[in-house]
Amino acid sequence: MTIIETVDLKKVFRSVVRRPGIGGAFAALFSREYEEKVAVENVNLSLQEGEIVGYLGPNGAGKSTTIKMLTGILVPTSGSVRVAGIVPWKHRQQNGQNIGVVFGQRSQLYWDLPLRESFELLRAIYDVPHDRFAQNMRHFNEILDLDRFMETLVRQLSLGERMRGDFAAAMLHDPKIVFLDEPTIGLDVVAKEAIREFVATMNRERGTTVILTTHDLADVERLAPRIVLIDEGTVIYDGQLAALREEYGVYRTLVITLAENYPEISVEGAQIHERDGSIARLRFNRHEVTAETLIRRVLDTYRITDLAIEEPDIDSIVRRIYTEGYRAQPLPIGG
Amino acid sequence: MRAVYGQHWRINLLTALEYRENFLLWSAFTVVYHGTAIATLWVVLHTFPSMNGWDFKDMAFLYGLWMLAHAIHDTVFFGVANVPEYIRDGEFDRLLVRPLDTLFAVIAIPGQIFPDELILALGYFVVATVYSGVRVDAIFVLCVPLVVLGGTLIELAINLIVATIAFWFVRVDALRWIVLQLEQEFTRYPIGIYSRGVRLFLTFVFPFAFMNYFPATYFLHKSEGALGLPPVVGLLTPAVGLIFFGAAYVFWRFGLNRYKGVGH
Amino acid sequence: MALAVRPRFRFEPYVEFGKKAIAREATYRFEVFTSIGSFVLRMYLLRMVWVALYAHNAAPRGLPLHAILTYSAVALLMGLVLDIDQVSSLYDKLHDGSIVSDFMRPILVPLYFFADGTGEVLFHAALVLPALALALLIVHIDVPSATTLATFALSFVLGYFVGFCINFILNCVAFWTLEINAVQLIVTFLTDLLGGELVPLIFFPLAFQHVLFALPFAAMFSTPLLIYVGEIGPDRYASALGIQAAWLVGLAIVCVVLWRAGSRRIVVQGG
Repeated sequence: MTIIETVDLKKVFRSVVRRPGIGGAFAALFSREYEEKVAVENVNLSLQEGEIVGYLGPNGAGKSTTIKMLTGILVPTSGSVRVAGIVPWKHRQQNGQNIGVVFGQRSQLYWDLPLRESFELLRAIYDVPHDRFAQNMRHFNEILDLDRFMETLVRQLSLGERMRGDFAAAMLHDPKIVFLDEPTIGLDVVAKEAIREFVATMNRERGTTVILTTHDLADVERLAPRIVLIDEGTVIYDGQLAALREEYGVYRTLVITLAENYPEISVEGAQIHERDGSIARLRFNRHEVTAETLIRRVLDTYRITDLAIEEPDIDSIVRRIYTEGYRAQPLPIGG
Repeated sequence: MRAVYGQHWRINLLTALEYRENFLLWSAFTVVYHGTAIATLWVVLHTFPSMNGWDFKDMAFLYGLWMLAHAIHDTVFFGVANVPEYIRDGEFDRLLVRPLDTLFAVIAIPGQIFPDELILALGYFVVATVYSGVRVDAIFVLCVPLVVLGGTLIELAINLIVATIAFWFVRVDALRWIVLQLEQEFTRYPIGIYSRGVRLFLTFVFPFAFMNYFPATYFLHKSEGALGLPPVVGLLTPAVGLIFFGAAYVFWRFGLNRYKGVGH
Repeated sequence: MALAVRPRFRFEPYVEFGKKAIAREATYRFEVFTSIGSFVLRMYLLRMVWVALYAHNAAPRGLPLHAILTYSAVALLMGLVLDIDQVSSLYDKLHDGSIVSDFMRPILVPLYFFADGTGEVLFHAALVLPALALALLIVHIDVPSATTLATFALSFVLGYFVGFCINFILNCVAFWTLEINAVQLIVTFLTDLLGGELVPLIFFPLAFQHVLFALPFAAMFSTPLLIYVGEIGPDRYASALGIQAAWLVGLAIVCVVLWRAGSRRIVVQGG
């Protein structure tokens, strides 16, 4: 069932033009000029219930703006948006009950209260039945280990602790949809893994639809089979991550550790990407030569002590798309 | 030193103008603040024409003297009022490191102040002087600037004392608020209406009465000032200001040395 | 597609907000000292001023010295409780972006601010007892009949709502200009003067009185106070309260309109 749908979504911002110097500042007292910025345009999204989607793009691409329209904070300039069947900004109260949000940069917890009281207040706000509340809190505590800092004031929590609290808060009322805006930013590796585990579990156990915006592509690789790429306000790719990797990630790398000090290396079908003493990195096009063939050729020609295959990393793929623009044929939306 | 200060004025001006509504609104507020004070006096004296022998014209002049001293203080020495906050957020320690006398450094910090209050105060003072019928003779022209500057020193001194207390107590907002309220509201009326204890306090402890009351008794040719003091005492304001400021400065240096000594 | 069914209205979240606001105010000890200290200074000053004025001038009709002293005391006590004209919660939240969290919750955001503000007022109401005790050391406060007190209480509550609306409207202006501190202070000072907190409106020149009694500021202070000291007698209770109610309704409508318009054009930082 389609749970999120946007049609030709567009958002335009107006801001004042600043003029330089004291003369300009005085002139501004009497008259002002405005400039318009199109933050988001022609965004057509369709998400099915229970999906996890990665929403990626460079800074200023319009990710946050889109999310804010989906969560009912911003009103679109034109186009339509429906989340769980309702228009978010028109029915904020109702929408609020359907969604949960985690902002990486800002907490939704109550700053001056102990964490426990923050949860109790949220229980009252979201009208979570007491037994369900107790059940959820127990469950979250198991996965996120909250008991250790339940009595601490929210403003005194470390980033990792606060983030875990925010995740629990977002899921407390069993929302149908969860928006995660840069949820792993600033966290250490252990905390990141815990968070990803939590999200995967919630999606698996409860069928919660997840929209994840992030700069950490490891989040996406771990969680989101489908990604939507936005750049300069428009969607440039909407499809399966695997397919993107297939499309763009044609180059694999064979890393070999040489047994002898060969002055020069050359292998048919591969390009010497890097040579550092006894380690050589050979780049090859997966469509032109198979790994098996290449390995045979290497073994036939050189003596090696170790080898490994590196897949194209999502980072470089996406970076190329950001900088070069998406050029392959468009894949069917939804993959 | 002057170049630094001048530079800060330019920044203030640019900042103030950039936030255009900001600048206009804060100027409007200044007008409203003083306007409502004077309007209150006017309304009250409209129904009750005399207060201990002082009428509205007298009170208008009384207010003008205070307002001018206050405006100069707020425009030039606004930095001092922020000292407690600087101590709290650690900014103050940065000032200690500078090769400037600390008090000068504090005063030279740029703020949001634009001289709108000063302009208003000057304009009002002229109008009030004319309206109250005070004789503008040589003595007036000579003494009023000195009296006003003395008043500025008194207000500066009190702010300095509160700032010094912040070295020990950090949260002095409540104290500052009370003291300022005492200064601003109690000086609107001739101190003769207060009980003896308060009159003594305002004359010899926190000499706010010297900011405007005593000088006004002189210029308005009142027969006698409060506490039986002769009106000419009003001309002592510059001296009172210097002494009070001197005492405050000593206190400030004492507090500063203790603060530096404790080690941060 | 699910239907957009209007959710059933619940009091519980807002009661919780109010309780949190009370707890929060209780942590600000210095503000408490400032309020009480400021109150005492003003009480003393007003007493000395009125005593001096009444000593040398003919007392105006209807308001003998004990009445004006009562008026001032009650006015200051009211000011202590209604210390909400500087409340800028909406403005603060717009500024730091935390309004975003509130917009995503299943609550009516304006009601949240109302619950929060009322919580603060309830806390300040607790300060009335010590302040009253101190005031009685300085002046004598007349106690009117039970009916008058009850009407006063009703008028006071109406006045509070009017004040809340005005404050809310000012906060809403932040949706457009993002800077309201100066405006709030201006309105505060104008309210003190034009609302009859400092000087009873009946001392104003007659020509001004007609205008002033019609303004919402009078609805906040003057009306309840004049009821208390008996200047507005029982025969005029209905019309006085009626004017307050009319202002309340009118301002409430403005609040709704501004809120709707403002929340549509909200701009929050971050791309």
